[in-house]
Amino acid sequence: MEKIDRLFNSYANNSLGMIDPDGIEALCSDLGVDYTDVRILMLAWKLKAERQGYFTQDEWRTGLKALGVDSLSKLKKALPELENEVGKSSNYEDFYSYAFRYCLTEEKQKSVDIESICELLNLVLGAQFHPQVDLLIEYLKVQSDYKVINLDQWMNFLRFCKEQISFPDLENYDASQAWPLILDNFVEWMREKHS
Amino acid sequence: MSNQKKRNFQIEAFKHRVVVDPKYADKTWNILEHAIHEIYNHNASGLSFEELYRNAYNMVLHKFGEKLYSGLVTTMTAHLKEISKSIEAAQGDLFLEELNRKWNDHNKALQMIRDILMYMDRTYIPNTRKTPVHELGLNLWRDNIIHSSKIQSRLLSTLLELVHRERTGEVIDRGLMRNIIKMLMDLGSSVYQEDFEKPFLEVSAEFYKGESQKFIECCDCGDYLKKAEIRLNEEIERVTHYLDVKSEAKITNVVEKEMIANHMMRLVHMENSGLVNMLLDDKYEDLGRMYNLFRRVANGLSTIRDVMTSHLRETGKELVTDAERLKDPVEFVQRLLDEKDKYDNIIGQAFSNDKTFQNALNSSFEYFINLNPRSPEFISLFVDDKLRKGLKGVSEEDVEIILDKVMMLFRYLQEKDVFEKYYKQHLAKRLLSGKTVSDDAERSLIVKLKTECGYQFTSKLEGMFTDMKTSQDTMQGFYASHPELTDGPTLVVQVLTTGSWPTQTCITCNLPAEMSALCEKFRSYYLGTHTGRRLSWQTNMGTADIKAIFGKGQKHELNVSTYQMCVLMLFNNADRLSYREIEQATEIPASDLKRCLQSMACVKGKNVLRKEPMSKDIGEDDAFFVNDKFTSKFYKVKIGTVVAQKESEPEKQETRQRVEEDRKPQIEAAIVRIMKSRRVLDHNNIIAEVTKQLQSRFLANPTEIKKRIESLIERDFLERDNNDRKLYRYLA
Repeated sequence: MEKIDRLFNSYANNSLGMIDPDGIEALCSDLGVDYTDVRILMLAWKLKAERQGYFTQDEWRTGLKALGVDSLSKLKKALPELENEVGKSSNYEDFYSYAFRYCLTEEKQKSVDIESICELLNLVLGAQFHPQVDLLIEYLKVQSDYKVINLDQWMNFLRFCKEQISFPDLENYDASQAWPLILDNFVEWMREKHS
Repeated sequence: MSNQKKRNFQIEAFKHRVVVDPKYADKTWNILEHAIHEIYNHNASGLSFEELYRNAYNMVLHKFGEKLYSGLVTTMTAHLKEISKSIEAAQGDLFLEELNRKWNDHNKALQMIRDILMYMDRTYIPNTRKTPVHELGLNLWRDNIIHSSKIQSRLLSTLLELVHRERTGEVIDRGLMRNIIKMLMDLGSSVYQEDFEKPFLEVSAEFYKGESQKFIECCDCGDYLKKAEIRLNEEIERVTHYLDVKSEAKITNVVEKEMIANHMMRLVHMENSGLVNMLLDDKYEDLGRMYNLFRRVANGLSTIRDVMTSHLRETGKELVTDAERLKDPVEFVQRLLDEKDKYDNIIGQAFSNDKTFQNALNSSFEYFINLNPRSPEFISLFVDDKLRKGLKGVSEEDVEIILDKVMMLFRYLQEKDVFEKYYKQHLAKRLLSGKTVSDDAERSLIVKLKTECGYQFTSKLEGMFTDMKTSQDTMQGFYASHPELTDGPTLVVQVLTTGSWPTQTCITCNLPAEMSALCEKFRSYYLGTHTGRRLSWQTNMGTADIKAIFGKGQKHELNVSTYQMCVLMLFNNADRLSYREIEQATEIPASDLKRCLQSMACVKGKNVLRKEPMSKDIGEDDAFFVNDKFTSKFYKVKIGTVVAQKESEPEKQETRQRVEEDRKPQIEAAIVRIMKSRRVLDHNNIIAEVTKQLQSRFLANPTEIKKRIESLIERDFLERDNNDRKLYRYLA
């Protein structure tokens, strides 16, 4: 516990009593990871961090204990394991929805602006579903029906990628199923593009 | 010496054989045979029935039934062979007559023979399961005469020849035919069918095939159908006169198939005379005939119905998309009503009010009326025109008839909420300008709408009527409590409840001093009796009657809008006013002011003002004067314009937008209602249920419904099921 606390203090902003964005940036460089890397997001998820860019002491303690690490080098080694853990489907959906909620910085905020969503999509799904994500991001940028995305739509992006909709013809996409309208529009846009 | 043993006394059967004279049977048979000969030779009168009967009886009794029976067969057969020859010998037309005569003879003979041999018929024959005498006689006739090689085919061809001759217009001996046919029927239904009916039907089919081919090449549809009907009736008549009644269905089937079913499509689509032409020209008789003939064949009626439906849909589509027609909404709707009347008449007079045709008519109308999104607006304008002036002088029953017809069109509308919006607007204008022809007619229509759509549809409309009535009472109260005002200008105020009337943006202008003072007095009176309310003057909707004296002393009463009144009153204090000055003084919005000035300065017969320059357009620097030379043959001159008109493009867009906005909460309410009771429901079912619930007002768009569902999800009224993404769950 002591080691964990000491590690915490080495990055924490003392006046706030928690690790702030600067501290996180420092942590990242020590871990040898870019601070936009998805693994930091995974770490935040493991810590159940509530506020983007900040880690409280409690979150730090619980998180590192759960990881079973108490030093920087151990934390570094634990990252690949963490990736695996997130990759398990039972956790993945939870992580995915966490990623969205992590972006809700204002109180009562329910949606995230398009640009941030695009970045987030890339970060979270880009590796696994590269072609779909690229096209989806392209679409989101050109369409004008929606300026923000809510959680429901966000969750359905994942479902869309997972459900093995044939790409890029999208033939087995059924618009009469309960897909959100934004995806219906995306599919239509795709079909027009390819005809 | 007698050593007699004791014997029992026995009675033994009488062993005495009755020795019948072996020649007895022969003798008796000879007598009977002779009798049969005599009978066939028409010499029966010399015979004694009793004696013959006894002879036959004895033969059977003495076990000579076999001899009797076989003798009968032999004798009768021999006679029939003779008869056969004489029939064969008959020439030409006499053939049938001879056959008929011999048949009658045979029957008479058979009767007598049967009577004589009745004992055998009743005892020997049943015991030995042999054919009874009468039946035997018929069978022998059949085998020896009818099926004789020389007679069989000749008989058939003669009969068919006669039928053919009759079909080509000759008169034949029907009585003879009837007898011969009856003979065949008596010989057994298989004889009738095999020896006559089957070939008859085949030959008839050939005949009608040829005939129909001939006609269809040279006749138009109406004539062809007439001919087909005639032929059909002929065959039915033929059957009643000389064929078995069971043949009627079979021969009519043949005619129906050859003349109607085989040529159905060609007839219906015949150029210049087919079904469509008949419909266009209201040819009730031809249509009725077609209906009656086609209903006899499979798919006949559905063929007519389908062609009628597609024609109707096409005509209707043209009607509602024809740009020329769309210029006059009242004409447009009248044309629709006329079309409906036309087809109601056709279905009533020619298609015997067949319900399936009525349904086809309704679905066609529903289809094309909704092709034009302005139909609801136009129907409301039609009603407006009628209630303003169209129904003047029309009797009460006729008014009801017209309104009922309008309701019929209303029922076809998918977007009933659009109609409601327009109807409200038009009704408001009618009420406020006092331009309705009949209060009863107005109310009657409201009642019909209520019956059709429920209380909610009309509650606001009724509110409008109530406001009018209440305002009247309020005015009375106002003047009663301010007796000093009776000398000044008369003010009439209609107080409108905001929710019931079409929403208007509130625009005020500067009223002339006399009026604004009066209005203030009213305001304080009203608010005195109704605390907590707020009044805002709608100066863009009022009218005014003002008396004017022109340059040469002409006196007129002018009926104008409130805006126009404000402008005119300015000229009490100035001879010349520029546009800008008028604008400043009245504060009427520019576009309204320009229209208002145009209506008073640029329209012939209503030019109470004079404008310099004399152009049609209003320029900012134009000057206005009272037109001292103004004349009109009427004392009262109407200049105001508060008539309902079909909307301009931008107005239409606005109304459409408002309708769409109104629909959103209705859709959401429906979704919530459904989900509240079902708790969990899948996507397709929600769409279907919501559409159904809203059907009576408008056709809900599935995409719009989806949007509303998503909005409700975002606001946490609903959620998606975690496992099955097709399901939605109600969140209490």
